[in-house]
Amino acid sequence: MTFVVREFSLKRITISSVNSSERMAIARLVHRIGFGPKPGQFRKMLKQGFKVSARQLLNSGLPDYGDIKTAIGIADLGTQPKPNSELLTPYNAAKRAQLRNMSLWWLDQMVDQDFPFVERMTWFWHGHWATSYSKVNEPVVMFDHIARLRKHAIGDFTLMCEEMILDGGLIYWLDGQLNTANSPNENLSRELLELFTLGVNNYSETDVKEAAKALSGLRVVKSSGLVTKDPRRSYVGTSTVLGTTGNFESATLARFLSVNVACQSFIPERMTYRFISPASSMMSIPMKPSERAKSSAHIIKKAFATRQILPTMEALVFSKSFQDPTNSQVKSPLEWLVSVLRALRITPSTCSQPDLLLTLLDTLGQRPFFPPSVGGWPADEAWLSVASSQTLIQAAQLIVSQGDLSPLMAVAKKERIEALADWLGVAEWSDRTKVALDGALRDPARLAALAICSPEYLVNA
Amino acid sequence: MENISRRKFIKLTGVGAVAAAHSLSRFEFAHAAGPRPLPPGTPILVIVTLNGGNDGLNTVVPYLDPIYKSLRPQLAYKEEQVLPIGDGLALNGSMTGFKTLWDNKQLAIVRGVGYPNPDRSHFSSMAIWQSASRTPIKTGWVGRWLETQTENPFLAISLGSTMPPLFQGDKRSGTVLPLSGLKTPTGMLAADYAKTSKKTKLDGQLSATAARSIRDLFTVAEIVSPILKNPAPPAADLPTAIGGNAGGESNLSAQLDVAAKLIAAGVPTRVWSVSLGGFDTHANELSAQSLLLGTVSTSISKFMSQMRTIGRSRDVTIMVYSEFGRRVRANASDGTDHGTSGPMFIIGERVVGGFHGEQPPLNQLKDGDLAVTTDFRSVYGSVIEGVLYTPVDRVITGWNDRLPLFTA
Repeated sequence: MTFVVREFSLKRITISSVNSSERMAIARLVHRIGFGPKPGQFRKMLKQGFKVSARQLLNSGLPDYGDIKTAIGIADLGTQPKPNSELLTPYNAAKRAQLRNMSLWWLDQMVDQDFPFVERMTWFWHGHWATSYSKVNEPVVMFDHIARLRKHAIGDFTLMCEEMILDGGLIYWLDGQLNTANSPNENLSRELLELFTLGVNNYSETDVKEAAKALSGLRVVKSSGLVTKDPRRSYVGTSTVLGTTGNFESATLARFLSVNVACQSFIPERMTYRFISPASSMMSIPMKPSERAKSSAHIIKKAFATRQILPTMEALVFSKSFQDPTNSQVKSPLEWLVSVLRALRITPSTCSQPDLLLTLLDTLGQRPFFPPSVGGWPADEAWLSVASSQTLIQAAQLIVSQGDLSPLMAVAKKERIEALADWLGVAEWSDRTKVALDGALRDPARLAALAICSPEYLVNA
Repeated sequence: MENISRRKFIKLTGVGAVAAAHSLSRFEFAHAAGPRPLPPGTPILVIVTLNGGNDGLNTVVPYLDPIYKSLRPQLAYKEEQVLPIGDGLALNGSMTGFKTLWDNKQLAIVRGVGYPNPDRSHFSSMAIWQSASRTPIKTGWVGRWLETQTENPFLAISLGSTMPPLFQGDKRSGTVLPLSGLKTPTGMLAADYAKTSKKTKLDGQLSATAARSIRDLFTVAEIVSPILKNPAPPAADLPTAIGGNAGGESNLSAQLDVAAKLIAAGVPTRVWSVSLGGFDTHANELSAQSLLLGTVSTSISKFMSQMRTIGRSRDVTIMVYSEFGRRVRANASDGTDHGTSGPMFIIGERVVGGFHGEQPPLNQLKDGDLAVTTDFRSVYGSVIEGVLYTPVDRVITGWNDRLPLFTA
């Protein structure tokens, strides 16, 4: 599939009408709800204004992917050959190739699509239902896991829960296949309550045990992720979860939890955590009715009443908190890399060193399909360290040397600092960074390498 | 040989004069360790992580126990293969270096260490050990300790390429130092990044951290790079079979060599993190595990000897742990599956050598697994107070237990 990229001249248009808070809001929009601007996009958004740009992004949908698995060769590899078998080497090679293909395919979507909002949401949900290849160890199972998240990424959260609780990758990751009536394993049950639907302190240890009964007896075919329920291993009888007694099974339990009142707060909090700021997600809703109606947290939670994800994201994007200058956020390594590749028009799978990009994400600690734990990836300061600075600076030089710098080349030297901000979607350069950029005006590569490692780019204003 | 002068640290980090170390009390002393050469006598902690779940029963072996032999017919060591240390227990035969440390009363073995309701997932269990919390939290215990200290990029260094969860703080984290050292741009680009990472009052908290992480890179690289060109301190008092540099150096030994060079040069690091993987021995355990334990024993013995050479052996404490022990009964592939508790090793001249904690009895297994007789947080508690000189509950909220692991 191809995406038509419209060219915009980066010749300075007068956008004096755009005030600095609108500029910051649009910078946030394009980096947090998308994956950063493609060349020319930020300036076009400035002209359109925040509202029109936000609607355009939120309603962008997905291109028709067709049959991805066939296209990139993702398939069940069957049972792993015995340690001494000569089939083991080709089996491992096929596994590596599939994992590589699906990783690069996903990165391609994030980089190449004009408005990658649904992939941005899929990425968010990957961190929410955080399941890792490191234990699942089967490309097709992880591919299907992400495909399910993509299917519901901006849809109905209840349907997402019903489908995810029967996802082979998730079950295997949390030992769900070891949970039987005679020998319960509470791992999946606990995380379903704590991390996926209700949040900590909104359930009791008894609820965990009772929910585990409902989830018991599942079998997972390791190589394909196929899930079946084995009646001989399943608990028979009713269970009582959050005070309600019933004949719960996986899907009915997931539905029941998703419509619980705690879930209505918990999921908006997780969205706020990732898209606005971790600190802001902790804010409580004011008690006074007049203040309450205006509170962003209240508005976002209200929007989630129907468990529809898209309207909730709309409420979030148009909330006051989203534009509050104090809610800055560190770009995570994947967000940084994808936004840099978008600006430089580098398609991951067809660039000169695709594997280096995956290694880079691995080194920085955020490779897709490999969340560090069921808690998902960390945020903010966790991404800023001496080692990550070294890696980013080295990567910046390498990536810039392979990218398209025409947006900078095309403008006169004295206009390059502003052009750079618009090209990358930076709200505002600090004075210290301006000084540095000023000394590098003659060399667009140096200018770009410097800009993408500047505090103003590493942090989404 | 490149050493750190106090002036150089002050010049590079902009930190002013600090009161003379010898006049400070124990706790003030710990808090005064800013970016200047580490004063002799300052305790240093080296954390050794064994990844994969080390089989404790074949590390500290109950070789006389008939249940041990009967549950592991192909996997039990015989008396002549192990190094007896009393109480019916013996060290794995490959751990001759540890046996010497034991005989010198410099090795404490804490038995049956784990946490309540053992989790058999490598990931969850390691997260529990590194966060020092039974329920998931985002910060590691060293990261939280760092936040009780004056900011200093040298304070905690992990050798490797990625940040262990252990080092993750809320606002700041430890430093990760790749074994190959840090590479920074030179010339024009270096000057450029120095400009973009300048401190400015206008920065928000996150931008300030972003700028600092780039500044720290140049600061750490400038100090560390020349030191890493030094030869590692010799292990002068060990026979060359252990201390020599002839081939076969393990990665653990390479990590400890880097730490030894930097400690010798006076880098103000209080916590080091090194690791060794491969302990997930589901099959053909005997040879694989004894090779690994031999590496642990040899590398640590050599490191302690290096510390004696440079006069820091009294300052250094080493703590060795793994995310869980393994099942008592062998599996069908001459290996063992994920289990529960295991022994921890604490090594150093200030350590109270000998056994601590109860050996989990083999006739009282719970679902075929060893009991947990010591909570790992009690070991951490002793180390946090005894080595890091910090009250335990500032690092592990609500935890007060500790073991008598250190001499006063």
